Amino acid sequence: MVDYLPHLLDAAVFAPLVLGALMLLLGRGAALGTLALGANLAALPGLLQLALLLTEGRSGANSPLGCFQLTPIGAALLGMTVVVGVAAVHRALGQLRGVEKPHAYLGLILILWGGTLGAFASPLDQRTGVLGAYVYHEIALIPTFVLTLFWGGEGRRSAAMQMAIYLTLGAMVGLAGLLMCGFSPEGVGSQPSIAGLILLGLGALVSLFPFHSWAAPGYSAAPSPVSMLHAGALKKFGLAVIATFVVGRLGCWSDLLLWLALGNTVLIGVVCLAQRDLKQLVSWSSVAHMGPIFLGLWVADKTGKADGLHAALFLMVAHGLSAAALFSLANDVRVRTGTYRIEELGGLAARTPVLAACFIAASMASIGLPGFGNFWGEFGVFLALRDQPLWIQLAAASTVVVSATYMLRAVAATFLGPLNPELAKREAIADLGWSERLAPLLLLGASVALGFNPSILTRLFAQ
Amino acid sequence: MDVSLLHWILLLPLGAAALCGLILRRAGAAAAIVSIGSALAGSVLALRFLGTLAPGQVVSWNLELGRLGETVLNVGYHVDGRSALMLFIVTFVGAWIHLFSWGYMRDDGARGRYFAGLSLFMFSILGIVLANGLVMTFVFWELVGFCSYMLIAHYFDKDFAAAASKKAFIANRVGDLGFILGIAGCLSAYGTTDFAALQAAVAAKPAPALLGFLLLGAFIGKSAQFPLHVWLTDAMAGPTPVSALIHAATMVAAGVFLMARIFFLINNEAVLQFCLWSGAGMAALAGLCALAQTDIKKSLAYSTLAHLGIMGAALGLGHPELALLHMAMHACFKATLFLGAGSVIHGCHHEQDMLRMGGLARKMPVTFAAFLVATLSNCAVPFLAGWYSKDAILEAAHAHGAGVFALLAVAALATCLYSGRMIRLVFLGAPRGEAAEHAHESPWTMLLPLAVLGLGYSVIAGTYLGFPAASVAALPAPMHFHLGAASIVGLGSLALGFLGALWFYGRSQGDALRDAAPGLYRALERRWMDELYELYLTKVQQPAAEIIAFLDLALVNGLAGKVIGAGIPALLGAASRRLFHTGSIRATAAWFAIGAALIAALLLGIL
Repeated sequence: MVDYLPHLLDAAVFAPLVLGALMLLLGRGAALGTLALGANLAALPGLLQLALLLTEGRSGANSPLGCFQLTPIGAALLGMTVVVGVAAVHRALGQLRGVEKPHAYLGLILILWGGTLGAFASPLDQRTGVLGAYVYHEIALIPTFVLTLFWGGEGRRSAAMQMAIYLTLGAMVGLAGLLMCGFSPEGVGSQPSIAGLILLGLGALVSLFPFHSWAAPGYSAAPSPVSMLHAGALKKFGLAVIATFVVGRLGCWSDLLLWLALGNTVLIGVVCLAQRDLKQLVSWSSVAHMGPIFLGLWVADKTGKADGLHAALFLMVAHGLSAAALFSLANDVRVRTGTYRIEELGGLAARTPVLAACFIAASMASIGLPGFGNFWGEFGVFLALRDQPLWIQLAAASTVVVSATYMLRAVAATFLGPLNPELAKREAIADLGWSERLAPLLLLGASVALGFNPSILTRLFAQ
Repeated sequence: MDVSLLHWILLLPLGAAALCGLILRRAGAAAAIVSIGSALAGSVLALRFLGTLAPGQVVSWNLELGRLGETVLNVGYHVDGRSALMLFIVTFVGAWIHLFSWGYMRDDGARGRYFAGLSLFMFSILGIVLANGLVMTFVFWELVGFCSYMLIAHYFDKDFAAAASKKAFIANRVGDLGFILGIAGCLSAYGTTDFAALQAAVAAKPAPALLGFLLLGAFIGKSAQFPLHVWLTDAMAGPTPVSALIHAATMVAAGVFLMARIFFLINNEAVLQFCLWSGAGMAALAGLCALAQTDIKKSLAYSTLAHLGIMGAALGLGHPELALLHMAMHACFKATLFLGAGSVIHGCHHEQDMLRMGGLARKMPVTFAAFLVATLSNCAVPFLAGWYSKDAILEAAHAHGAGVFALLAVAALATCLYSGRMIRLVFLGAPRGEAAEHAHESPWTMLLPLAVLGLGYSVIAGTYLGFPAASVAALPAPMHFHLGAASIVGLGSLALGFLGALWFYGRSQGDALRDAAPGLYRALERRWMDELYELYLTKVQQPAAEIIAFLDLALVNGLAGKVIGAGIPALLGAASRRLFHTGSIRATAAWFAIGAALIAALLLGIL
């Protein structure tokens, strides 16, 4: 059945990697149109693979080279990464005109995307696959630092350094754990420390409390396409490894994970309430939303049931879409107003109704409104926690109130109310153009598809 | 029975919403036609469905959306006579509100968005009515919350609309927190969230009080019960037809409907006692507070709170069918009152202050007639809609005990007082303001809904209970008038309150109560709970957030950064040297584990 596209999965990963590398090395002085053409070509195999995933399920993926194979987790995350990547690359293309060294910028973003795709296409349940995934993750991580350092916004130097330290060390600690278990999930049980190393090391990659300090400054400083790709997609690599290796084998680390996950959910949720900068808020909320995902993994380990695991996976995918949409839209606000500071904004909806509608939709997605994918994930985690003590359920579900509070507050302060007099002085603030609508509509559309038809994802898990 | 009819009823408004919101955003008139058309079609279909449903018949349908482990995500219908009647009330009242909006919103620049919101609102509430289980109910429950947010924020460039929409959504989410835990509790205790299966399971093993309280949270949020009632009076920031929709046909009704549906889960002594006393207390207090509002819509909002309190008390008395009946009766007269207020506001060029109105009876005769009939129904004049349910609830309260009966008697008296005041200030006497001088009657698109809902529905809704369809819905049979404690209180407050208020408020140019007892007026006007929440938000929550954010920056970021920045490389260096010397992977790993554990312990210890 699938013979007609034997190398599709390989092509989906290598097209962005190879074209990205070519742009980086040979693209100096190339016309922007040529670069855009290259980026679109790079996206094509990924989109075809996504279409195949949606119609044929995982069985449609094949890799004669043997290095790639889709696991349930990998398939779900790969599909999401294709969507996020297309949106991020499109966003980068839209702003390419004002960027220094556009060939390097775009090339690195493509490499970041391709590396992420490679990490999810590698089968985590096979030894070589784990090693491969790890290597692809590193391939994606390095452009993240470089892009932040050279093309980032305010505070990019310290943010990139902090990110590099945390993420490299986290990855190394995690690698130590993987080495010790011989890259095989079965080996994790041989020594209690292994699960801890993988959990904390790779947890740091996912901004597990208290190893989250890199995330908010990092995402805030990084160029928006990079924040979209990292917070949306690449970050989930750590979760995928934890879900494959640690869930079911947590042992003595179970209680610690519970507390750390609640730290993400409750404490970081409260920290979000204190944010006064739109992009910082989106960054922090992305950290807070890791809480329910970790709780889902925790309860899956504790009860041995798949409910929490599947809910967490669902939320990982849905969060990738909503977080990317929020980063993209927050940047649209900044492009128009020159600021991310919430107090300098206000009343934008009158001038930019489409942008406001998209931002509100993305906020609603991120706080788990039904109709968007995040709802099934978050709600599924709460239901998976059903047999746990009430205080844990209460602490976990408190996020529905806290997240609604900070997101709606930001929405009200940015878009509603009378137009900020300072903004009124600026000349025409234009609404989202047709081209700018593509990224948010793609991401939100994917989220709505998951919200109305969750079986798109759940049937991948069941296979 | 044809399930596809139900699909049509549910999906028509969704289609209309999508069309209006995505395509007809700038084509206001087209959006209005699509939305109104879908609402009218929906009510016709709902009537047809109701007509073909045999007594005792249940139509069900189930669709599995997916599975997360063992958790089944499903949607489906479970429609019995009661839901079918509710379906009709929602679509019928909703359709007239849609039609009213045609005239009321004619000059609005964002009609596409408005009608998209209205249709989405219908879709959401219909989903709750049709739902066969808690999961689907919750999905649409949340959507109702979003729709109210969207519509309350219609005039988004006004600060109060921005604040009110946010408040409504967050207050609802506080209640939903209880709902979520309640759903999880049901799944944990009974292994299902489907209504029919739950009912069977609960019959064998009664639900604990805790579960009842958690599920009651849903009602407290959505139906604006104490202490989450604060959002309702602010929800006035939206366009007036939206207020009618929220107060009558949809939002607050959803809470009552759900509680009646899952009454077997909250049927616990402690839960009912709480529901009873908080409901009765709110009924009495909110009724009195309505006397201290000069904004006509705000005064009506307090009136809604009072009636919601009465419904809560009916639930607490163990009579969900009476709560449902009162909700249905309330739906028709409150919709009329709000639409009447909308007509008045429209006629007075957006004047909302009752003290600047007066003498509108002559200028707006149709509006006055409808408003008067609905007001009398609100005051429970015998054989008008409100009487059937209110009298029965008073009767039940009388049988229960003197305390609750006294509170509800106060509520009945207060209802008549504020109703009389409203009629006196708005419609009688001489005009007291420029706007009232030049008031004009509204166009027929606004008067027709008023006439149908007010004159028609308020008068015949009660007698409708005598029709065979009522037996389908298993509502109580129509009562015949008899002189008991309840009717004495009812008629007494009518005479004393309504006529008394007509006389009392005619004595002064301003507000007679404010002139006579300013202290009392101010106490009723003041929003104690709002102030309390404001105090909490500004003095507790925000400082706590700032402190935690600071600690995070200082301790976790600062210290962890130092520890990790300096500690781990040293650790790695030592480990790698060891690795080269001893060649033991085990030892290296042990070092890593110790290091990571140390850091974790340190950070946890600090926090």
